[in-house]
Amino acid sequence: MATQALAPAARGYRSGLYEWVTTTDHKKIGILYLINSFIFFFLAGLLALGVRVELAQPGLQFVTDQTYNELFTMHATAMIFLFIIPILAGFANYIVPLQIGAPDMAFPRINALSFWMLPLGGILLFLGFVTGGTAAAGWTSYAPLSEDAPLASPGYGQDLWIMSLVLVGTSSILGAINFLVTIFKMRAPGMSLFRMPILVWTMIVTSVLVLMATPVFTSAVIMLFIDRNYGGHFFDPATGGDAILYQNVFWFYSHPAVYVMVLPAMGMISEILPVFSRKPLFGYKAFVFATVAIGALGFSVWSHHMFTTGAVWLPFFSLMTFLIAIPTGVKMFNWIFTMWRGKLTFSTPLLFAIGFLSMFLIGGINGAFSASVPVDFAVHDTYFVVAHIHYVLFGGSVFGVMAGFYYWFPKMSGRRLNEGLGKVQFVLMFLGFNLTFFPMHQLGLAGMPRRIADYSSASGWQDLNVAATIGGFLIAFSMLPFLANIFLSLRSGEPAGDDPWEGNTLEWATSSPPPPYNFDRLPEIRSERPLFDARHGRIGH
Amino acid sequence: MSTDAHAVTTTTEHSPVAGLPHDARGGIGNPVLGMLLFLTSEVMFFAGLFAAYFNVRANAPGGIWPPLNPETNEPYFLQFLPFVLPATVLLILSSFTAQFAVWAIRRGDRTSFLRNLSVTVVLGIAFLVMQAFDYALLYSEGITLDSGTFGTTYYTLTGFHMAHVFGGVIMLAVVLYRGLGGQFSSRHHDAVEASSLYWHFVDVVWIVLFSVLYILPGSGH
Amino acid sequence: MSSTPRTRSLSGALFAVLVIAILVALFLVAIAAGLNPAAAVTRVVESFFPPIAVTNQGAEIRVLYDIVFIIAAVIFFVVEGLILWTVLRYRRQPGDNELPPQTHGNALAEALWTIIPTVIVAFLFVISWQTLNAVEAVSAQPALKVRALAAQFQWQFDYYDESGENIVYTQFVPQGEGGGMAVPVGQDINLVLESRDVIHAYYVPQFLFKRDVVPGRTSVFTFHIKPEDANKTFGGQCAELCGSGHRLMTFEVHAMTRADFDAWLQEHIDQAPPPPPSGEPPGSGEPPPGSPAPGETNNPANTVIQIGAQNTAFDTAELEVAADQPFKIEFDNQDPLPHNVAIHEGSPTGPDVFTGEIVTGPTQVTYDVPPLPPGPYAFICTVHPTMTGTLNVE
Repeated sequence: MATQALAPAARGYRSGLYEWVTTTDHKKIGILYLINSFIFFFLAGLLALGVRVELAQPGLQFVTDQTYNELFTMHATAMIFLFIIPILAGFANYIVPLQIGAPDMAFPRINALSFWMLPLGGILLFLGFVTGGTAAAGWTSYAPLSEDAPLASPGYGQDLWIMSLVLVGTSSILGAINFLVTIFKMRAPGMSLFRMPILVWTMIVTSVLVLMATPVFTSAVIMLFIDRNYGGHFFDPATGGDAILYQNVFWFYSHPAVYVMVLPAMGMISEILPVFSRKPLFGYKAFVFATVAIGALGFSVWSHHMFTTGAVWLPFFSLMTFLIAIPTGVKMFNWIFTMWRGKLTFSTPLLFAIGFLSMFLIGGINGAFSASVPVDFAVHDTYFVVAHIHYVLFGGSVFGVMAGFYYWFPKMSGRRLNEGLGKVQFVLMFLGFNLTFFPMHQLGLAGMPRRIADYSSASGWQDLNVAATIGGFLIAFSMLPFLANIFLSLRSGEPAGDDPWEGNTLEWATSSPPPPYNFDRLPEIRSERPLFDARHGRIGH
Repeated sequence: MSTDAHAVTTTTEHSPVAGLPHDARGGIGNPVLGMLLFLTSEVMFFAGLFAAYFNVRANAPGGIWPPLNPETNEPYFLQFLPFVLPATVLLILSSFTAQFAVWAIRRGDRTSFLRNLSVTVVLGIAFLVMQAFDYALLYSEGITLDSGTFGTTYYTLTGFHMAHVFGGVIMLAVVLYRGLGGQFSSRHHDAVEASSLYWHFVDVVWIVLFSVLYILPGSGH
Repeated sequence: MSSTPRTRSLSGALFAVLVIAILVALFLVAIAAGLNPAAAVTRVVESFFPPIAVTNQGAEIRVLYDIVFIIAAVIFFVVEGLILWTVLRYRRQPGDNELPPQTHGNALAEALWTIIPTVIVAFLFVISWQTLNAVEAVSAQPALKVRALAAQFQWQFDYYDESGENIVYTQFVPQGEGGGMAVPVGQDINLVLESRDVIHAYYVPQFLFKRDVVPGRTSVFTFHIKPEDANKTFGGQCAELCGSGHRLMTFEVHAMTRADFDAWLQEHIDQAPPPPPSGEPPGSGEPPPGSPAPGETNNPANTVIQIGAQNTAFDTAELEVAADQPFKIEFDNQDPLPHNVAIHEGSPTGPDVFTGEIVTGPTQVTYDVPPLPPGPYAFICTVHPTMTGTLNVE
């Protein structure tokens, strides 16, 4: 059965620059988020290439120690705060109102404000490169290294970092408020909570995490700012301040932040797997409860980043960290059994989704090593942790973002992306990613610490570093088919129609792209797959 | 919250948000829900600052809190009078008048609404002025932002609170301005509800601050 | 291209590409290992494990690691296998438009895959906790107490006497010739960690252990090197970003028998110049070894040159002094760090012709340098070999 097509199609409406700059339409704002985030993805990726080029050989060939510290600090800061968190918010901004059958977000002008704080925050952050140096104390910016002292962090870079992140954090919090009010108050009739798409559920939990954790981070960096600029003593051990205080307040946010960085991607995967398996998500309710459990448990594990400080109640945090593996495992099986006995179509979105499953599995497993405190004593602050981070954030979140991009690009632009180019990108990215990050397990176990600009030739670490550098360039090359694909599609791609994938959820019940008011009519909502029901009748319910 | 597809949704009389105005489908209005969520984030912001305060206090050298002022060798001392205690009373009063204003506009009594709201704004400004004088007094006694951990935490906590009061005064003033322009009625006054919630939050934070910084044993007086 | 299912050939080709890529990678590893497949396989397998532990505590950690690894490997192969099997087996055949059974869930399966991971995780937690207690136990009666004092960007090791109250010797040079932290094997050693400035971390990969060094806090841990590891040297490195010199904070641990260690310690105590007489200026930091001729000399014709040290750098890069006469160096160490001035013939790695006493700043000290024949020399800080300059003697 055809979807509820709209007549006339709203596709003809072309928008000029003024429209884009002043828009409060969640769809345009969502696209702005995607564009801004990808710009910072490429910038932060270049910084990573800088790191990899320097580490390929022993000896400092290209940068000074100080510059190297700036490279990895800015790479991580930009990736986390200007790429992954915002891009997931951007996807959600576009898709969530459509999936719940709403005409827009609850507070459209605040939505626009949330977006525009991001390019501004990004400029502030990168301004350090022209004012004498960016922050260079790691994205974690531990005190006292991040305090204003010689051999620590004198200069403006760290202050720009703080100001930028206060802005970006505020953007995040406002977005979270918007999502929560939209989801709780603006669902179409018939869409009870347990009929919402999983992406919407993950956005609820993500938004609660952002709402409650980000302000604590804001307080941490503001305290650092006060120490740096107003003679404060929060983190100054000489006068009763405490360096560990910074770590506790910082990680209280930054741990839930990793779930902010991955839950929406998991939500996207949970949309894609059912569509391309032609089966519903296996264990929808369990999945919802698992997501909520991860959100709740996520607040109780922060000190697992501090096991080696000697200042942590180790058994508690170790236990809670191990416990998080359980709902995560539940989800993994739910995804696999969605595909089990399905009929799989290997379009690019599904390829990236399967890549997500495999890579996130590895990331979850190597995380379990760190959860075991004595093992963490060996691997903490080594490249083993760098491997873990990237398997969950790149292998997980970025692959999820790519899956979502290929899946929803037709809806956003009205054009299909080229499948051949998509598959080329997938293969290059998958190979490049594993070549870069798998050897880091070995490097970490062998004793290579993080955040060192150089290592001795006697260490034996060079071979694996060379492999990682080659992999890094492979990842960079995989961006070429990606960009080519977008450009060619926008110019002359095949029209997508309303529903190119035989989707399950409401966004496929309107034109591609949707009109400004999203829907003319909505199908009946009786399950979490309203379009599937409309197409096939309510079988299997 | 809506759970049933067909029936008109309502919030039960017993729910904690029952007293707040409802939208057409029942459930609290979007602006009010948005403000409540925003206040949650603000509570977490202050929670981070309070966590720092308690941590710093627990780590005080020799366990002495308040620490000794290096110039006088006496513990730092925060006085209730002549500014802080009256300011607290005024702020608590202002919460009452803010609530009276809300009740008034809910029953359509614009005059009472405007009168109470004006008094709230004035009381808010009075609080700010008294705090400013108190800061001047403390500075003259040598308690400054960089007076060790004591000064840092005191001024950070009370300073951010003052910033929030300032923001609240602006917000209430805007609502007052709109109210004078006749923009509110008993059916449409979301901004009044939202800003009064914010104002109560600011007051509650002050009560907690006052208790922790001034009344808690070892905090002076 | 439409959304109809791809034919077998493309996904099959994809799979073939992946398999080939993996085989190529293995082949390259074999080449790297010298074309010996058995050695290559061993090297690959070993790379998944930390180094062999040289301490008792490290050995406990290694046992735990091995158990975690086995469980991790099993889980990986089972789940990844499941993914691959599913992906291969349930491909949509071209032209097949029938829906598969729309299974929404299965209570038994869901219960099993909740309960079994819970059991595994509980097991891992319990064995981890047990190992943690063994590793974290601090000895009440250690055979030796050493303090590792971390500063930007150098480690210093202070050796205590039997009472654990008094420092009897400070090893300023963390590695290399005459440097390193010597310790006896077969006994409990308590390492006390303190920092002068920012957070550092004491990490020895072969201990399978690290501990952060946090300013304002003192941290202690116990380690016990196995007797069979005597006469070995282990490398260590700071593992917490501490600034622009982070990668430079390497050190060595020299394990030796107790008898050898006692000899080493006594020899170093004897070699260190005696403490200065009471006329020395106050505020010299740690009890410094005095310089051979403590500051007093009666020759009025002595040239005096001045060198300062700040932010781990000398304030001058070039100096000149007359040949064949004794001269003084007035050294102003403005860093809260140990520095000295040493003079080498030709270059910083040339023969050592003078070594001034190492003093911890802020402090000033005057060195009396014996006459030098003309030629090029270099001056260097023994503790921070990156601090160098040239000295022309003519």
